Amino acid sequence: MRKLKYSLLLSLITLLLTGCYDKTELEQQAYVVAIGVDKGEKENTYDLTYQIANPEVGSSITGGSSDEAPFELVTVQGIDFMTATATANSFVAKNITLDHTKVLFVSEELARSESFLRGMQGASRTSEIRRQVNIVVTKEDTRTFIETNQPQLETRPHKYYQLMLGRSTETGIVPQSTIHRFFQLTEGDADLFLAMYATTQGEDDKTEGNVDEYIAGQIPKEGGNPTQFMGAAVFKEGKMIDILNGEETRIALILDNTLDMKDLLVTFQDPINKEYQVAGDLSKKDETKVEVDYKKEGPTKIDVTVPFQLEVLAVPSLIDYTNHKKHREKLKESVEGELQETADALVKKAQEEYGSDPFYWSIYIRSQFKTIEEYEQADWNKKIWPNADVTINFDMNRIEFGKMLKDSDLEEVWD
Amino acid sequence: MFPFVKKKDKQQSNYKPINKKLATNDKYIGQLFSAKINSDFAVREIVARYSEEKVAIYYYATIVNGDKLYKGIIRPLLENVGKDLKEVVTLESINEVNTFEDVVEHINSGKAIIFENGNDTAYSVDIAQFQERGIEKSENESIIKGPKEAFTESLNTNISLIRKRFHDKQLINETHKIGERSKMEVNMLYVGDLVNGEILKNVKDRIKNITADNVRNIEILEQHIEERPYSIVPSILYTERPDNAASYIEEGYIVLLMDNSPACLVVPITFWAFFHSPEDRYLRFLFGNFTRIIRFIAFFITVFVSSIYVGISTFHSQMIPPDLLLAITSARERVPFPLILEVLLMEVAFELIREAGIRIPNPLGPTIGIVGALILGQAAVEANVISPIIVLVVALSGLTSFAVVDVSMNYSIRISRFIFIFAAGWFGMFSLTGAFLLWMMYLASLKSFGVPFFSPLSPGYKSPGNNLFRKIVKKEIWRSGNVQPKDIKKKQTN
Amino acid sequence: MNTDKTLKTKELLAIILLFIGVKMSDSTAAMFSQHAQNAYWLIIVVSLLVMLPPFFLLLYLLRKFKDKNLIELIEHLLGNFIGKFTGFTIFLLSFALMILDSRNYVEEIKLLYFPESPTASIFYIFIAVCFFGAKRGFETIGVTSWIILPFIKISMFFLGFLILGQITWYRIFPIFGNGLDVILTQGIKKASIFSEFIILTIAYTSFRNTKIFQRGSKIGFALVSFELVFFFLLYALIFDYNSIEKLAYPYHDITQFVNFGDFFTNVETFFMVFWLSAAYLRFIIYLYLIAMIFGYVFNVKEYETLLLPLGFITVTLGLLTENAVINELYLRETLLTISTPVFVLLPVLLWLTALIKGDLKRS
Repeated sequence: MRKLKYSLLLSLITLLLTGCYDKTELEQQAYVVAIGVDKGEKENTYDLTYQIANPEVGSSITGGSSDEAPFELVTVQGIDFMTATATANSFVAKNITLDHTKVLFVSEELARSESFLRGMQGASRTSEIRRQVNIVVTKEDTRTFIETNQPQLETRPHKYYQLMLGRSTETGIVPQSTIHRFFQLTEGDADLFLAMYATTQGEDDKTEGNVDEYIAGQIPKEGGNPTQFMGAAVFKEGKMIDILNGEETRIALILDNTLDMKDLLVTFQDPINKEYQVAGDLSKKDETKVEVDYKKEGPTKIDVTVPFQLEVLAVPSLIDYTNHKKHREKLKESVEGELQETADALVKKAQEEYGSDPFYWSIYIRSQFKTIEEYEQADWNKKIWPNADVTINFDMNRIEFGKMLKDSDLEEVWD
Repeated sequence: MFPFVKKKDKQQSNYKPINKKLATNDKYIGQLFSAKINSDFAVREIVARYSEEKVAIYYYATIVNGDKLYKGIIRPLLENVGKDLKEVVTLESINEVNTFEDVVEHINSGKAIIFENGNDTAYSVDIAQFQERGIEKSENESIIKGPKEAFTESLNTNISLIRKRFHDKQLINETHKIGERSKMEVNMLYVGDLVNGEILKNVKDRIKNITADNVRNIEILEQHIEERPYSIVPSILYTERPDNAASYIEEGYIVLLMDNSPACLVVPITFWAFFHSPEDRYLRFLFGNFTRIIRFIAFFITVFVSSIYVGISTFHSQMIPPDLLLAITSARERVPFPLILEVLLMEVAFELIREAGIRIPNPLGPTIGIVGALILGQAAVEANVISPIIVLVVALSGLTSFAVVDVSMNYSIRISRFIFIFAAGWFGMFSLTGAFLLWMMYLASLKSFGVPFFSPLSPGYKSPGNNLFRKIVKKEIWRSGNVQPKDIKKKQTN
Repeated sequence: MNTDKTLKTKELLAIILLFIGVKMSDSTAAMFSQHAQNAYWLIIVVSLLVMLPPFFLLLYLLRKFKDKNLIELIEHLLGNFIGKFTGFTIFLLSFALMILDSRNYVEEIKLLYFPESPTASIFYIFIAVCFFGAKRGFETIGVTSWIILPFIKISMFFLGFLILGQITWYRIFPIFGNGLDVILTQGIKKASIFSEFIILTIAYTSFRNTKIFQRGSKIGFALVSFELVFFFLLYALIFDYNSIEKLAYPYHDITQFVNFGDFFTNVETFFMVFWLSAAYLRFIIYLYLIAMIFGYVFNVKEYETLLLPLGFITVTLGLLTENAVINELYLRETLLTISTPVFVLLPVLLWLTALIKGDLKRS
């Protein structure tokens, strides 16, 4: 019995020795915070850029040498995301870990080609890249983008991405574009996927326009980081086909129930004094109502009602909307009308140009079918959506004017 | 078989009746106690007035009260008249003794034995006065609200402390003698019409079956009667608080007391007894439960914080938020050891400080302990031997371990902590979870005198609902059903 | 003290919820979604409905023939020879199911958390833990299950709560997925994913009294059904119909998906701990019950000594299949299909024999 016990103990000890396979000390790992994917030289290869955080920058614990760069950029060629890390290890001393990746940059060039979807398949297979990671389409090469992106306030890249992505989706100028959503929409084979659009290269021919009619790169600004997040890249069946500007992106977000939208800062034309504009905070408290009346033959009717609230923040024309009911009515009508116009234009564009919708509305028609087969045969993208009869109603149910009752009378001030 | 026979022989050799002649008896006692070289063994021979016979008094001078001896025995014998010796001696307890075995025992326990010439009965008079300290504050189980008295090393004082708290005619103090050479008394205190007969019998049998020359005190007794001497967790509660002991007696538990120990044993016991502190009940409902939550968290932290740290940072680094991760990584870049070794190093260092802190002479203790720990940690970090977060982790696990009041449980937890650290270093959370589950199952399979360790939570019994949390006092209707008291109802409901 | 059987309803519930409820987090979901896509949660409903009558029939029989567990009942009704044969068949089927299932869990652990480690060493550790756990006896298993259960279930429902923001109700449609016929045939064919309910009756006499089993198993059946359907539905609502069939372990995909705010973004290890304890406990229970079946069939009184050889065989046979996909999509599916008629028809057969023998009237 005693011998048996000892031999069991011995075999247990040998088992103890097996436990080193997945053990990696923290300092033996290199933490990638962002991955950039570009088109490779050959067909179906990619140039993968890893942005690796430098742990010694910004942590006061040991006070490491502060003249080191906050991150290291590594670009390698690869056929998918995972095996490329092995290649990168030929010149990175540490084990490259993708667990902490915050964002996946894709160059517009690659996004517009077919090989993008193929590359993304690999990303879904590994558990290292999370489904919550956002896809950002960059106008230029991703490497150039990451290199040029020099935030002044947030030297540590992961912090920058965390805050930047969070804030810009909150304001609604870019959509949330997680890998998870990408796969849902792409595999669902209906609807369009919207991805964040960003660039570091400003355009010279700055178009005049409303604050949010820009796409990234067009925003006139001085100082600060050259990076701009604005607008959305439109993907159809895993391939980028167009870019929506900031305003269109907002409309798409308002119309889509599956995306979070906190509150949007928007400007409208002042309905009374057309020289000026009115700035407001638009928020949607209730869900957008989408009613679908599916007809097998003939156009399907889609009725959409968007309830929203507006808090007026600035009235440069100084027209007293607060106290005049008529003025308020006018403002309401004008705001609703303006939104409706943009929305109609977007729907029209989607129906005619894209042949699919960016609002994820195909889910509302599913309840009309019993099986997937029927649903797929009805074909949202080709048959239902392009011929659908879409009416959109914006319904402002509340208007508020902030904490000031009246604006100061400028005439009197200048007197 | 063999020890049994031997035992009988021994008994017979002492089972010698008392002779009528004093001189014979005197000679024999002199032999038994080696009177010539045993300096504090005293004999006083006088002639009693009432019978005009020679009388000899035997006692240990160091353990009897001299004043009592003179006033209660010697003076009455010299002066008083009466029918027999029992009438002459005025002290409160006087017993007849017929064999030398009893004589020896009585002298050893601080009584004076009076031999009379021409009488084959000796008389034993209790004039014992063992030296002891007074009742002091409880040192190891201190509380803020509630009684502060603690047991002392004197059996009678201890029993009086318990009786003071629980006035019940059924509170029984049963005495058993253990030990071959030095006969010691074990006192079992229980409430006769509450305690479960089977458990009582079980405890008695265990006490009777002790075959040892000498069981000096409760601490040794605990090891003699426990079921699993090799087990990692204790199965008997050791407490120095009479109020705690009284509250257990009231619930139908059995309390064991002995001379020479400033504490008592409570049997049978469950996990919850080690988790609770008497103060939980003295505090109001909400406050008591708040301390319970805090203590539960402390239990968890002290057992797991180091092992979880090892597991997560060596196997599951994705779990750590990026800011913290980068901070730890940058701190670790200059540390020469693998992370698990770092943790073990500091844990062992902490244990060393703790052990030294206990053994260190009193005046030096506190300063050396704290300063040593601080300086050690600080210096180790500065010399890049360990990373600063380890100091944090180990300090946390060390500090919280003090929330586990019971000395034995404290050791169990500290040893378990090392087991878990090794487990975590082996296959991360996979093996840590496995180890924890097996640890938990081991605990669940334990029984203390037939009572499952996690009862009355599971297996379930009627109980006052006093496991992790407690109810308000008014709602405690039942006694703990897991010890199967004869009367389970604690309070009549209206 | 007076009795060894101290377990009550709550422990039985805990055992059922762990033994069967853990199915929601393994690849059972993936197996069904292969066939019915977003409507695969209905398959579970069908399977439950198929399993319900035989299970209740068995409970009825057990109540009639007091103080007999499954194997004793079979032998009592079918006679020694046929009874032994039937018992042995049940043992073989459930043991085979357990082997494939355990391999499945091991692959899950390996793929998601220990990609570099060899399957064999994880398998050995897993089964070793199960063996040592089962060795502590049925009472300990029940007690531990009850103590650990709240933590496991809270973590799982916490996950469900966190993910609620991500679901889209309309993904439930088209309601019948790949067709009602697919759902019905699959549901009936795979009814044996609930064979555990039949296996569990081997422990009929292991509780404080048999009323506890009668009541507890019915409550357990209801709770488990609710839990499974709820979670399977949740997966379908989070992943669209085309994505769900691509996922092998939807539960873990969800754990990788959720985050607690912006700071704790990768929290799967947190959920993994609770899932792992549930998985360990599931196989501890499984191993113990199978040893019990074997013990009763072959009259081995000390059936706890069988745990070691059974555990060892599990590892050895479990390692034979090449990879997780073959294991799950081919072997396990086939085995489930084969064993369904056995588990469904057995209670009916027993009932008929009892009826013919006239045993039912007498009692």
